[in-house]
Amino acid sequence: MEKLIPVEMTINNQHYSLQVPPSMRLLDLLREKLDFTGTKECCGIGECGVCTVLVDGKAVDSCLMLAVEADGATILTAEGLARDGHLSDLQKTFLEKGAVQCGFCTPGQLMSASYLLSQNPHPTREEVEEGMAGNLCRCGCYERIVDAVLTVSGKDGGEK
Amino acid sequence: MNLKTVGAPLVRNGGHERVTGEEKYVADIKLPGMLESKLVTIDSAHAKILSIDTSQARKVPGVRLVMTAADLPQPVPRFGPQIEDRPVLADGEVKYHGEPVALVVADTLEAAKKAARLVHVEYEELPAAFTIEKALDPSTPLVMDPSLRPNDPLAHTNIFNEHRYSWGQFDESKAELVVENTYSFPMMTQFCIEPPAFIAAPDKDGIAIWSTIQHLYWLQKIIAKLLKLPLSKVHVYAPDPGGGFGGKQHAKYEPAVAFAALKVGQPVRLVLTLEESFQAMRRTSCETHIRTGFRKDGTLVFQDIVANYLLGAYVDIGDRVVGKGSYAGAGPYRTQAVRILAKSILSNTPPATAMRGFGNPEVNWAVESNMDEAARLLGIDRLEIRLRNLAKKGDKFIPYDKPADGDWPQTVLKAADLIGWNKPLVAGHHRGIAVGLKLGPTTGLSYSLVRLLADGSAVVASGTSDMGQGARSILAQIVSEELGIPYESIEVVMGDTSSVFYDQQTSASRSTVLMGNSVLKACHSIQAQLKTRLAKSYRLEESQISVEHGVVKFPDHEEPIPKTIKTALGSLGGEIIGVGEERKEGEKEHPLGGSASFYEFNCTAVEREVNKATGDVTILRYVTVSDVGKAINPMQVHMQDEGAAVQGLGHTLMEHYIFDEKGRIRNLGAADYRILTSMDLPKEFVSETVENADGPGPYGSKGMSEGAILCVSPAVGSSVNEAIGTPIRDLPLTPERIWQALQEH
Amino acid sequence: MPDFEYVRPQNMSEAVDFLKVHGSETRILAGGTDLLIQLRNDEISSPFILDVKRISELQTGIQQKNGVVSISASATVSEIILNNLINAYFPALITAAKTIGSVQIRNRATIAGNICNASPAADSAPPLLVYGAQVVIAGSKGMRRIPLNEFFIRSGVTALQKDELVAAIELPVPTTKMGAAYLRRTRRRGHDLASVTLCCAIEQTGTVRLAYGSVGPRPVLVVDKSGILVDKKASDEAKMATLESMFAQASPSKTSMRASPAYRLAMLRVLGKEGLDLAISALDELNEGEKSLNEGGK
Repeated sequence: MEKLIPVEMTINNQHYSLQVPPSMRLLDLLREKLDFTGTKECCGIGECGVCTVLVDGKAVDSCLMLAVEADGATILTAEGLARDGHLSDLQKTFLEKGAVQCGFCTPGQLMSASYLLSQNPHPTREEVEEGMAGNLCRCGCYERIVDAVLTVSGKDGGEK
Repeated sequence: MNLKTVGAPLVRNGGHERVTGEEKYVADIKLPGMLESKLVTIDSAHAKILSIDTSQARKVPGVRLVMTAADLPQPVPRFGPQIEDRPVLADGEVKYHGEPVALVVADTLEAAKKAARLVHVEYEELPAAFTIEKALDPSTPLVMDPSLRPNDPLAHTNIFNEHRYSWGQFDESKAELVVENTYSFPMMTQFCIEPPAFIAAPDKDGIAIWSTIQHLYWLQKIIAKLLKLPLSKVHVYAPDPGGGFGGKQHAKYEPAVAFAALKVGQPVRLVLTLEESFQAMRRTSCETHIRTGFRKDGTLVFQDIVANYLLGAYVDIGDRVVGKGSYAGAGPYRTQAVRILAKSILSNTPPATAMRGFGNPEVNWAVESNMDEAARLLGIDRLEIRLRNLAKKGDKFIPYDKPADGDWPQTVLKAADLIGWNKPLVAGHHRGIAVGLKLGPTTGLSYSLVRLLADGSAVVASGTSDMGQGARSILAQIVSEELGIPYESIEVVMGDTSSVFYDQQTSASRSTVLMGNSVLKACHSIQAQLKTRLAKSYRLEESQISVEHGVVKFPDHEEPIPKTIKTALGSLGGEIIGVGEERKEGEKEHPLGGSASFYEFNCTAVEREVNKATGDVTILRYVTVSDVGKAINPMQVHMQDEGAAVQGLGHTLMEHYIFDEKGRIRNLGAADYRILTSMDLPKEFVSETVENADGPGPYGSKGMSEGAILCVSPAVGSSVNEAIGTPIRDLPLTPERIWQALQEH
Repeated sequence: MPDFEYVRPQNMSEAVDFLKVHGSETRILAGGTDLLIQLRNDEISSPFILDVKRISELQTGIQQKNGVVSISASATVSEIILNNLINAYFPALITAAKTIGSVQIRNRATIAGNICNASPAADSAPPLLVYGAQVVIAGSKGMRRIPLNEFFIRSGVTALQKDELVAAIELPVPTTKMGAAYLRRTRRRGHDLASVTLCCAIEQTGTVRLAYGSVGPRPVLVVDKSGILVDKKASDEAKMATLESMFAQASPSKTSMRASPAYRLAMLRVLGKEGLDLAISALDELNEGEKSLNEGGK
């Protein structure tokens, strides 16, 4: 039986005091322990980005982080993007641009997009493509996802 | 027709929950007392199981059950949509790399994983057939036990079936040019971002199953049969899958999980890893040998096609893929004489399932590439040679079957115009163009329920699976249009056998047409009931009222339906219920069991450059045009065609399984199996439609979503050949393969 | 994921003391982007994981002192990409850093981890070698420094002893003008492990420093002082012969899934030529005096 480690963190503006086994990934803490199932699992090796969350404002693959490493951190997941039930600009624009098909990669895409715009408020198309390359989409929404990010940043990606 | 909601690019129904993270996929569902499970597999593509020692595994704290075939009813139950060949767990033999030998159930996933590693399987490796050549070699052991197909003359081979289609008189002397080549299409996998997941839970005196399945009613049937339960006691929940692309059509490990759940008396969940999903589903790979005969002017004289499709160790729906995919293998052309022989060949590889395009992309790669070669040899433009042979609307291009149902030349000319086919090329750029065709559904049955509620909102219940293609939106748009109610006020219920009526399946791009017509009929029923009730309320003759397209027409005025509901319902209130049934009966004599409800036709054109030093391909401009009848939601139509293109570029440029010499898959998972990322897109992307309202679906719609994947490889391949001067006939066209071809040229 | 005990020392002496006793059963955790994959795939069964990220002595980030730029072991790849000093002095390292995984990976991964993982395809390795990196190692016997070229032994194996951990990577601030370029060969444009990596740097003196990886068990550094490669009067044959001799140590894996040996060797030459051209252009640009190194770059 693993020795539990006490950790403190803020997730979606809520403070948590928890006891976690060292081998628990941040992804498992979010999904299994705290029911933040908006963050998904696919490849488990940091290739697909579907588990992307913001840790202290930075986009990371939560499958590659131990929960204990997030001790003291501020975490934002897709569940924390809407405010008072109102969708964020990114969330709304993703829908308007048709950037959501099956939706499984969508939470991770939104987190990466949030991070990208926080670092680079007016990216070029190429910068968006590069910044979002860590999020795979098998339904093939890439072009629309890029359009959505550009639209939110103030540069319209064009009619689709 | 002045449509209000249909034809509008409305935001996806079901979109809100997808962007907030609220959408619950199977792996997100937690039930009280739910246990976790893990598959036990061996690192071999083909082996005889000598013994399974579960004693160490059972000792791991938290382990509740270690189930093997020996714990199942004997003989081990088998299932499968075409033939019941697949045992619930490996029965004495592992037939593909990843076939489950046991299922471990425990309190936590960690405990299940730990125990799974401690299950000790003694096995004897057997030769594995993982290529067509090996599978057809008479000295290779049989993949399928011959006793499973007792009266089949092929039972003592690894050929499961042979499909033969032909018409016309073969007179080779009429051909002034014969192009003969062999093409290969790789083994590749759906790579759904959501790996398959399953939960089974005892449910009173029956069972409840949650699955990422596309066909929930098929699953209900299979589970009921295996567990010997009445259908009414098998409750299947099918949350919207996170991508399916055909791979999630049929049962995989639900039966094993179901047996386990009944044994432990608690819910059991199994979530596959991405690696396990590669071992659970893939597309049929194929080697096509094709001889195409032409006259000097490029018109087709004959097509002689032999397509060897490689299926996995269990048939799944793979043979249907072969039969249907090769049926229109000669393409949307008028060919005097055609002879097609398509074989379903079993092998020690993961089961080949359906995948977008359903057997057509594999053969189309060959047919279209041969057209290009002929064009080059005859000195005819590659667009021109296609236009000369393309069937026109009404042509019986398959002489005994449904004629061409669309203006295909119009589609081709539109694509050619959008790519600027006749414009001069910049140095180093090359273009390619290809057409493709597949059959829509050949049989079908879709029931739907529409409930018009007292306040003018509505609920639609449908057994269609919305796995990203946007079926929810389509159905809501139809209801909105017909009942005159706001799109946003419509709730679409799917994926629950106890609240949605029977739907045969979600495949073959059928849902807009079959489920759409079913919903249309349900709406018409509601309209008829409104008419009757309003006539009564206003003391009019029914003939004095008409109800259609959201509007009630009284003798002296019109009212939108929502305004009339209260009156129609009367003092008791309630709701108005409409049930729709859309049926496409089979035709016994037809080789496919029925002719297609519609054809999906697409033309794809690309402009590209190739870096000859490295073999890198850069797609500068990508054009895809589909003939869709009527785009009920244009944005979703484009989303589908763009998605199909991106997926198709995957098998065209980078996707393939890599095997070792023993038939084990080396590149399981995301590290070494490459799919496109946002950085791999064409520089410019254009998706357009041709809409002539000539489809059998609501408002003249046809199904779509697969057409655009049919032409990707030949369009890109064609342009690559132009660039490097030598045809490459094997996919994927990786930079290394292109570089290799350049070295050898 | 196996069970393990998680250890998070607050300072270097705690860390080193722990490793002295448990070093042979401990894995170091910095960014975790390699380690967590190995844990998931059951490739590790160490009872201890030691997290270096809170070690006080490692909170120094990236600093310049006494002609040396020191990159702390806990500095992330993202931090390196944004750092003025690295951008100014070591542009090829920036190019390489931008190719490491995806944005999400770069926000966690460290260069120290990249070299300790010792994949022959490590993207940071060729530029670090070309720029003359030294590895600063902390251990129970104190601190030591070794050239990076001596740090790599073969795939997955470095000169790090069981009771040691990497504290920093030091790069000497260039004293002469240098033009450099980093290139790699991948299977797709999106993030990918490299099939060939290559960094080429040209000094004002005409010395060419070339490092390449993923074509053998470890990244290779070769220096050519003849000046032939940058001599405009030298024949193409002479230049090709020199480049060829620099590639002599390439021995690509025959079993790799990413690329065949023939393709790798051919691409090595393609990248070598391209890298050389880019490095020469970069040096020419510097010499045109448009941007002084001392301005601090971007």
